[in-house]
Amino acid sequence: MDNRSAADRRGVTTTAMDSKEQILDRYAEHLRENGTRPKSVFTFCKDLQISEEDFFRCYGSFDAVEEEFWRRMIQNVIASVTAGPEWAGFGARQRTLAFLFGFLEASLRVRSILLIRKESFRPLCRSTWLRGFGDAHKEFMRGVLAHGHDTNEIAERGALASVYPDLFFTHLLAVIDFHLADTSVGFERTDAFVEKTVNLVFDLIRTQAIDSAFDLVRFLIPRR
Amino acid sequence: MAHEDSFSGQRSIRSSPFTRSAALAGTGAVVGLNYLKYYGRRAIGGTSDTTKLHEENAKAVYRTFSELKGGPLKLAQMLSIDKNLLPDAYAREFAQAQYSAPPLSYPLVVRTFQREFGKQPREIFDTFSQEARHGASIGQVHKASRGTQEYAVKVQYPGVADSLQNDLRLIKPLALQILGLKERDVAAYFTEVEERLLEETDYARELGSSIRLSKASAHLQNVRFPGYHADLSSAKILTMDWIEGVPLDRFADGGADQRVKDQIGQALWDFYHHQIHVLRVFHADPHPGNFLVADDALWVLDFGCTKTLEPEFYDLQFQFLDPALIEDRVRLREALESLNVLKPDDDETFRNEIIAMCQGSLELVARPFRSADFDFGDPDFMKAIYDLGLESQKNEIIRNPRGVRGSPHTIYVNRTYFGLYSLLARLRAKVKTHLIP
Repeated sequence: MDNRSAADRRGVTTTAMDSKEQILDRYAEHLRENGTRPKSVFTFCKDLQISEEDFFRCYGSFDAVEEEFWRRMIQNVIASVTAGPEWAGFGARQRTLAFLFGFLEASLRVRSILLIRKESFRPLCRSTWLRGFGDAHKEFMRGVLAHGHDTNEIAERGALASVYPDLFFTHLLAVIDFHLADTSVGFERTDAFVEKTVNLVFDLIRTQAIDSAFDLVRFLIPRR
Repeated sequence: MAHEDSFSGQRSIRSSPFTRSAALAGTGAVVGLNYLKYYGRRAIGGTSDTTKLHEENAKAVYRTFSELKGGPLKLAQMLSIDKNLLPDAYAREFAQAQYSAPPLSYPLVVRTFQREFGKQPREIFDTFSQEARHGASIGQVHKASRGTQEYAVKVQYPGVADSLQNDLRLIKPLALQILGLKERDVAAYFTEVEERLLEETDYARELGSSIRLSKASAHLQNVRFPGYHADLSSAKILTMDWIEGVPLDRFADGGADQRVKDQIGQALWDFYHHQIHVLRVFHADPHPGNFLVADDALWVLDFGCTKTLEPEFYDLQFQFLDPALIEDRVRLREALESLNVLKPDDDETFRNEIIAMCQGSLELVARPFRSADFDFGDPDFMKAIYDLGLESQKNEIIRNPRGVRGSPHTIYVNRTYFGLYSLLARLRAKVKTHLIP
């Protein structure tokens, strides 16, 4: 990224759109290089040769920048996998797999940042800035699951089904966790992990296994 | 009672490397004594011969192996005994190993293409089947086309190569336990199996072997090979011509004219004879799924498992094909010593018993080589070989072999001859058996 031309553009025809891109790019670069976010918005703006005013017009905080970064990342994956000619013919299981493999492919480009942010992607340890990422994923999965109902891959079971998007998000975090720890050539073990876990989850939600487990828990709880 | 059974079972099983090498060293036709297969059957058969017990045991053993895909699945296939030598129930269960791995999802196939070629299947081919046409133990086959050319595209399960060693480490104690083997007796055999299995996961190597061996065997009558496509292949993806044909086992059981079956049997014999005795590198996986019959010719499909015969081992192993040797006790004894079947510290009585036993089994497995023609359809022959295995289980000497005997290289020679004999028996083929040149 050429800072001078960026500054020039700022002086002449800067749009909010351009600034947003610049800020995102520079922020990611800073994370990669230093392993942490910039010390303050002030030093960041100075480095980027924009005013703090410009920054705050685009984002309220670094958290907001980071949220936007991950939200875009996952939205790009979703856009690219759903654009494939085979997508329409895929069932819910295949759509879920196609998404995850697309995600793994895209994640190679941000792997260094993912490693820095590893702790935040652990299940149960969610940073506020991960909300946009999670929401985008859950919305996507709601669509996939609705398609799964149409294709009878998923049994209809009312209120319980509302936790499925959360279940799949936790699964995504587990995949990321596995991926970051994977040392196999070409991350083949992650591929196998994705394939096997998605098969398992879909086997569970197609049959009555979850209902039965839920029923058992309901039965046991009052007696304890 | 049950306790006693398992105890005696274990003792007799420990003897197996010896059993195998004694019988097989001869022609390399290990047949009924094949160490892994024999043991498999022992373990499954126990001391009872009832079909029901076979069936239940076979299922139990098969389940144990099939739950661990990849390496163990291959191991299960290796253990799988071809129809005639194993109780039927056993063979049936193991035969399923070929088909039972869960198929790869299409998105994962796409992912593998992306990684290997940087392109999706649809960017390379005009058509590409999303569903696998058939499975293989470590991969699956898709049908693709470009223009008028049809391809069979074999895609490997991700991480198979990576996890194979782990799987084997995991399965080893289990296999030892199920089959009642002692680790120190079979360490060399496991190493041999592991090496071959690891080779099978390298499709780039397989491509090389396929091209080389099919070229070197192209002149054989009624033996055909698909064309291989190096530009569409990688370490994880192997592309060859799509061959429309009938799998060999279905052909053998089907209603084809016996003349054609003989012709296919002859092609099979010629193919193995040429490889083992001329090329000295051979296709070591004579599973019926690796052969197709089309246009009255035999198509050879899978060169994933090949075994090279070193000159020293070749000479030791195949000296037993000489009929004069089997008659001559002194020479036979020297030959058995050279293959480590007889050991220097064996006492005289023990030696004599082993030699007598080997004479019987060697005569049997070398029999097809003794005459210009041999009828593998002769039920007495396969039964005799099967009985040989049964008999050896009861033999006190074989039960107590006093240490490891024989060479691990014999595993694949044995497996191959065993497979070849049972395929020929299934075809009921009359074959012109050549003598070694």
